[in-house]
Amino acid sequence: MNIDNFRRAVLIVGLALPMSWTAGSVAAQTARSFGVQVSTPTLNQTASSAVLPPGGDQAQNSGQSIAIGGLATAQDAFAIVNGDADPTDGSTAVSSATLGAVNLLSGLITADGVVAVASSWIGGATGSDAEGSSLANLVVNGASVSDPAPNTRMDLPGVGYVILNEQIRSGDGVTTSGITVNMIHVVLLDALTGAQTGEIIVGSASSAVGN
Amino acid sequence: MFKLRNLAMLAAPIGVVLIASSCDRQPGAVAPGIGKPLAHFQPGNFVCVPVKITGGGRIDYPPEQAEKNPPASHEYETFGAHVMGSGQQDANGVCLADKGALEWVDHRPEMEVNGHPLNLHATEVTFAEVATDASCTDGAVHWGGKLRVQNTGQSHLDFEVWDCDNGEPGRNDGFAIRVPAIDYAVQCFTVTPADPTCYLTGGNRQFHPTH
Repeated sequence: MNIDNFRRAVLIVGLALPMSWTAGSVAAQTARSFGVQVSTPTLNQTASSAVLPPGGDQAQNSGQSIAIGGLATAQDAFAIVNGDADPTDGSTAVSSATLGAVNLLSGLITADGVVAVASSWIGGATGSDAEGSSLANLVVNGASVSDPAPNTRMDLPGVGYVILNEQIRSGDGVTTSGITVNMIHVVLLDALTGAQTGEIIVGSASSAVGN
Repeated sequence: MFKLRNLAMLAAPIGVVLIASSCDRQPGAVAPGIGKPLAHFQPGNFVCVPVKITGGGRIDYPPEQAEKNPPASHEYETFGAHVMGSGQQDANGVCLADKGALEWVDHRPEMEVNGHPLNLHATEVTFAEVATDASCTDGAVHWGGKLRVQNTGQSHLDFEVWDCDNGEPGRNDGFAIRVPAIDYAVQCFTVTPADPTCYLTGGNRQFHPTH
């Protein structure tokens, strides 16, 4: 037996096999949720965050009283994530973030009861949804807002703008599917230049599955 | 006669012990004991097979319904829960769980404990059995173990869950929980995918027949 030819064959197979693996040939799932996140040039903080561990299972976190940089306060935040990757019987990922009373930017935005739910599944069908997400007693710049449609944008003069019930979808809907739900997403803008200077996110839940 | 009386005196205590021990609750034994006749999850209609059920989400109870309550009511519960049933029985015939997790938050104002939402956290998941009489298209599991009330620190409290996967998405899935020691239950008997489970108003339950 020609050992050099054998070695070449092993090398070729070793290089070719990984290239035959298509993206998504291994079942996977991700899930993450958090209560409040503030990002500015001087502050980067996330409160009550839960991330699904590799391989699935469950994680949770909570915080009774949150205060971040004088920009955001919140009560009774709970983050729960759960998921499992199963190429045979179907994968699922579910995350939720809930909060009680919320106060942003010294009362510019208030709410009492924030629920973000993200759910993704793959099996007989593939999809994601934000069913169960809701906002209670939401007031934005003095105006009550009831049941905002997905991705509702409201300007905040002198501050920036807010996106309510923000839903960002991902995946091809066949082999992969995901969704991120941010119930209150404030984008801070420089009053002079209009450049983004930071953001505040309240009630965020993300889920994704792939096969 | 004397010998017969002595024999009776010897046998009586033994008989009392035998009768008393047969009436004792077997550790970990399945005993729904909810006091209402069920159409599903009936005793005698369970099988002990390897199983997994995962996911989480939201329930809006009361009332028994498949729709969300007005957000400002805070009449909803959120949760994450999963269990892996081993398919093995112990000496008492209890179908053992390999592992599991439960995180449950009841947001109803009337259920607050110490001014915060009731928060239940499983510390052990001990049993899991597959229901053969539940009208859940993908599968149903009755499971439970021990939990802690996070608000008070009360621990080692028995809990049981009735769990129903009715396909994807999860809007037709069901979930119910009972914690007898604190007289707590979220169960539905009239509007339900399979009593006593309550409809999910967000999230998903995923049944896996193998694990």
